Amino acid sequence: MTTTARLEMTEVVKTFGPVRALDSVSLEVGAREVHGLLGGNGAGKTTLMNVLFGLYKADSGTVRIDGREVTITSPRDAIELGVGMVHQTFLQVDTYTVVENVVLGTPLEGGSHRAGLAAARAKIAEISERFGLDVDPDAVVEELPVGVRQRVEIIKALYRGAKVLILDEPTTNLTPQEVDALFASLRTMVAEGMSVILITHKIRETLAVCDKMTVMRDGARVQTLDRADTDAEHLAAIMVGESHGSYETPTLTEAVALGTEAPGAVVGEEHVGGFEPGVSVVGATVRNDHGVELVSGFDLEVGKGEIVGFAGVAGNGQVELAEALAGVRPLERGSITVHGSALSGKPTAQWLDGGVAYVPEDRHRDGILPTSGITENLILGSHRSARVRRRGLIDWRAARQRAAEAIDKFSIRADSPATRAGDLSGGNIQRVILARAFAHRPRLLILHNPTRGLDIGSTRFVYEQIREATAAGCSVVVISEDLDEVIAIADRVIALYQGTQAGEWASSQVDPYEIGRRMTGLGTASVGGAA
Amino acid sequence: MSEFLALVVPMWVVFTLAAQGTILSGRTGVFNVTQEGVMALGASVGFVVAYKLESNLGGLFIAFLVGALVGLVLTVMTTQLRMDQFVVGLALFFAATGAAGLLYREVIGVTMTPPKIDTLTKYDVPLLSDLPVIGEPLFRQDYVFFFVVVLSIAMYWFMQRTGAGLDFRSVGENPKAADSLGINVNLARTWSTIVGSGLVAMAGAYFPLHFTGIYTDGMIGGRGWLVIALAFLGGWRPLYVVAGAAFFAGMDALGQKAQVIGLGIPHQFIEMLPFVATLLVMVFAFRWARQPAHLGLNYDRESRLAG
Amino acid sequence: MSTIEQNPPSPGGPPSAPPPAAKGRGAGAAAGIVWTLAPYVVSVLLAFLVGGALIQAMGYPAVDALEAVLTSSFDSRFGLIETLHKWVPIVLCAYAFAIPLATGKFNIGAEGQMLLGATGGAAIGITFSDLPAIVLLPATLVAGVLAGAVWAGIAALLLVRFRVNEVLSTVLLNFVSFKLIDWVATKVWPDAGAGHPATTPVGEGARLPLIGEAPGLHSGVLLVLALAIFIAVGMRFTPTGFEMRAVGDNPRASLINGVRTSRLAGAGLVLGGGAAGLAGAIDVAGVHGRMLEGMQSNFLILGIIVGLMARGSMLALPFVAFGIAVLEFGAGTMQLVAAVPVEMVLVIEALILLFLLLSDLVRNRLRGAA
Repeated sequence: MTTTARLEMTEVVKTFGPVRALDSVSLEVGAREVHGLLGGNGAGKTTLMNVLFGLYKADSGTVRIDGREVTITSPRDAIELGVGMVHQTFLQVDTYTVVENVVLGTPLEGGSHRAGLAAARAKIAEISERFGLDVDPDAVVEELPVGVRQRVEIIKALYRGAKVLILDEPTTNLTPQEVDALFASLRTMVAEGMSVILITHKIRETLAVCDKMTVMRDGARVQTLDRADTDAEHLAAIMVGESHGSYETPTLTEAVALGTEAPGAVVGEEHVGGFEPGVSVVGATVRNDHGVELVSGFDLEVGKGEIVGFAGVAGNGQVELAEALAGVRPLERGSITVHGSALSGKPTAQWLDGGVAYVPEDRHRDGILPTSGITENLILGSHRSARVRRRGLIDWRAARQRAAEAIDKFSIRADSPATRAGDLSGGNIQRVILARAFAHRPRLLILHNPTRGLDIGSTRFVYEQIREATAAGCSVVVISEDLDEVIAIADRVIALYQGTQAGEWASSQVDPYEIGRRMTGLGTASVGGAA
Repeated sequence: MSEFLALVVPMWVVFTLAAQGTILSGRTGVFNVTQEGVMALGASVGFVVAYKLESNLGGLFIAFLVGALVGLVLTVMTTQLRMDQFVVGLALFFAATGAAGLLYREVIGVTMTPPKIDTLTKYDVPLLSDLPVIGEPLFRQDYVFFFVVVLSIAMYWFMQRTGAGLDFRSVGENPKAADSLGINVNLARTWSTIVGSGLVAMAGAYFPLHFTGIYTDGMIGGRGWLVIALAFLGGWRPLYVVAGAAFFAGMDALGQKAQVIGLGIPHQFIEMLPFVATLLVMVFAFRWARQPAHLGLNYDRESRLAG
Repeated sequence: MSTIEQNPPSPGGPPSAPPPAAKGRGAGAAAGIVWTLAPYVVSVLLAFLVGGALIQAMGYPAVDALEAVLTSSFDSRFGLIETLHKWVPIVLCAYAFAIPLATGKFNIGAEGQMLLGATGGAAIGITFSDLPAIVLLPATLVAGVLAGAVWAGIAALLLVRFRVNEVLSTVLLNFVSFKLIDWVATKVWPDAGAGHPATTPVGEGARLPLIGEAPGLHSGVLLVLALAIFIAVGMRFTPTGFEMRAVGDNPRASLINGVRTSRLAGAGLVLGGGAAGLAGAIDVAGVHGRMLEGMQSNFLILGIIVGLMARGSMLALPFVAFGIAVLEFGAGTMQLVAAVPVEMVLVIEALILLFLLLSDLVRNRLRGAA
């Protein structure tokens, strides 16, 4: 290349204690370019961008913007240099309006606070118009749906005059329609001379919108490629790497998870309709923490060995449904029967005894005891059962023994059963939670976003475990905001919209765009491909 | 009535001043629980300085500085070293309580009749102080009263009506968001805790300088804890705190007048009133009162866990 | 496809080697003890250094003062007995703080609960003063436990039913209790001759038997010792103890895994209140022979300090409490010997706590570097 790159990062190193998160990584991004930053979880993509945005301080390495070497020690420096970042978890003040969130940290123009906000409102309207980012400037952000909050994040960056915009896994919670709209906005931005860096682990997306892509693995850059010079298979091979011997063609399930294969390709016909009755939910009505009825009159049958997948945009009653199915959240009305035993109305401990296992969405917040060892984490939930007690007291020696076995069987990377759960990586935490769930010999397994943020290896492991459970006759409910995942592993897909079923498809008949319409409340009249 | 108001107003000054100091740091997410100790320390320092220098203003000022010093220790240990805010607060509460008694005993010693200082001079608000019944108790006040009025208005203006206040409050609501937009989280937390703690100590100094003219151990009598309750009830907003402080001061005055009121019930039960009333009000208040989302939580930019 | 299933790849890297725990177990345990004890030793030394410097700067003989603080408990039989008598309420008030803390709740109300326990004990001891010891003594102690538990139960109820912050409710209840016992000591069972608000003495049957010749050690010390062992075992090995620690670690994860968290948090407060109530009843039955104002001394603060210093270990707690009891008894001697105000010891104790908290940071840095 003869022209200077918009952004050049050279040999960036970042360590967290003993962990080398970035091992001398370099990256060049040109103007008018959407650059994909590709890799599994723990590859260092987000860490590298947090360094660029001044959230992490690099141990060594240089950053150049438009050919000039710069020092970025805080987000303020980054913003002043024209770098903006949209994080995976939105960095917004929930109680502020859109305008207030956008102007935060910037000096207001005009004589008074009020006049300054008015000027900002006008500027936001102009940005919305230009890039197709529709928002109501006076809405309080905590009341906005995820897709709109993401637009607020993008507007925040553009308001500050970003010429390099970083987006961290921006499509995770979006419908296919919203993804298309987002990508259109991104193309408009680069057409106007901006640079966009898209952090993602989905190969199809990268190919859809990026001009160039850099693949990272284990904290290092593997390769940078032009869109024209690559295809899905090739990228997948680079991403997975050759570290475990030769690269094998992935299974269809994995291929969908990787995003190299279009969804809908996975499923065979053999299962559909052929399940014994297992779990029966009748007229379930559930309220959220604020007393709002989020799930109303919900009916559901899940056969023994069947996997039912729920697709939907976050905030449509997923958490409430999952917790109700798991016996954590009381039913307002209705009943749930699991393999013959009526559980509704009973305390959570009895659901666990009845073989209901729950893998919650938020692993850190809901899944583990962070400062306790793996042993303690594994007996949580069965600590009152006869299996772990001797003469009424907890038998810690036996519990340690079983923990060591679980560490082996579930390939948990930990020094010993005493390792604190909070010190484990996300993938290993999920393995601990799965190990605990399977220790209950589940008859009903509920998984909420089971692979979010996991690398390919761990994702594959989770899917294998689910298959093993169904082989033993377990009924499985997978609730995921990742449409591809639901389509890839479920025998039956149900679209969830505002706590009700907005459509149902046998896995052989799914159409992602149709599901996307249904889960955003569109096209409910049509019969669609209901099974 | 007039006499009762004369008891309420100075207590309103104490509660408002200490609670504004509490919400100042609370709004940036620093949950200060040192009030009971810092107010005692402020009372001790304020008295000793006023007595030795024969300057009440000097007493107030040095009390503010000593309180600010405690705030500095609190903020260094929490924002810089990221130690648990509540635990550090408790430890500083103990240390301040001990230091208050220690200072007095060291400078004044143990005496038969405690030394006394002149209490603060009162000034009339022109015209208003001539009003019947309420004129004298409401509008004939010392300068701390006027300071508290100005402070409350200024804090309201700053927090709700300026861009800087918008930035300031965001630190306690979502420090990561504030940080990502270039707002200096540690700086906001540091100065608000230092100034806030100084104000709390000043409220303590008001006891010997306004009410008694002498210092005694335990003279704060639990009001430091009531201040925390007041901050919660006031939703961490300056103007609500002003209103809530009036309620607390009224209860306090009732308790003080318990021996005189009589009513046929033992005076001890009337003296319980401020505490029991606060407990009852909290039953309702904790349902609706908002608090900063990150109150009491430290912020670590490089933490890989926090969302 | 086939290779993947035949030869399960280790997701995310090679399977971890078996942990090297087995071979280095003895050495590991020894290192663990050093890591545990070192911060205590260093913190105490530093606090005494700073405290000593402060004493010297104020013009007192620092060495004499600190020597008095440290050694007077062991200089005489009387000193040791008095120290153990102080140890009882300190350790019980520390449980009052530490048991709810295990579930993540802060009980700052031990002094109120202790005073209510003393009142409950005194009420039984005075009302039924003629009963024989075999009935009256247990009744007195049980009444104390119940009264303390009920007082903390108010805060527990407010917490579980109305989500009222337990820090505020327990603290405010302290001040209510001061007024309440003032009423009891001046109106209900006043002892006019005491010269200080106090109740009349309890019956002989309500007094704890003394061990050894006068001045004897009251047998409440042995009772608390047994209780300490019971609590340490219970927290470690019973499902309820495990649930308490789980809730303290992560209430949401515990809830999802079948633990009834809010009930448990309430129970923690009630148990803590019972412990503080027992402290009050034992001091009535063993030390004062009556309920008197001010008997709560500064046991609330000391209990919190001990509870925090023990860092959740119910095993360490009684030992830490003994250390603090030694300092507290030494404080009085220090004032006599070196004329240093007793508050100095509170400052030193607060310093020990702060240094101990700081030591966590130092230790993490050292481990990170290692």
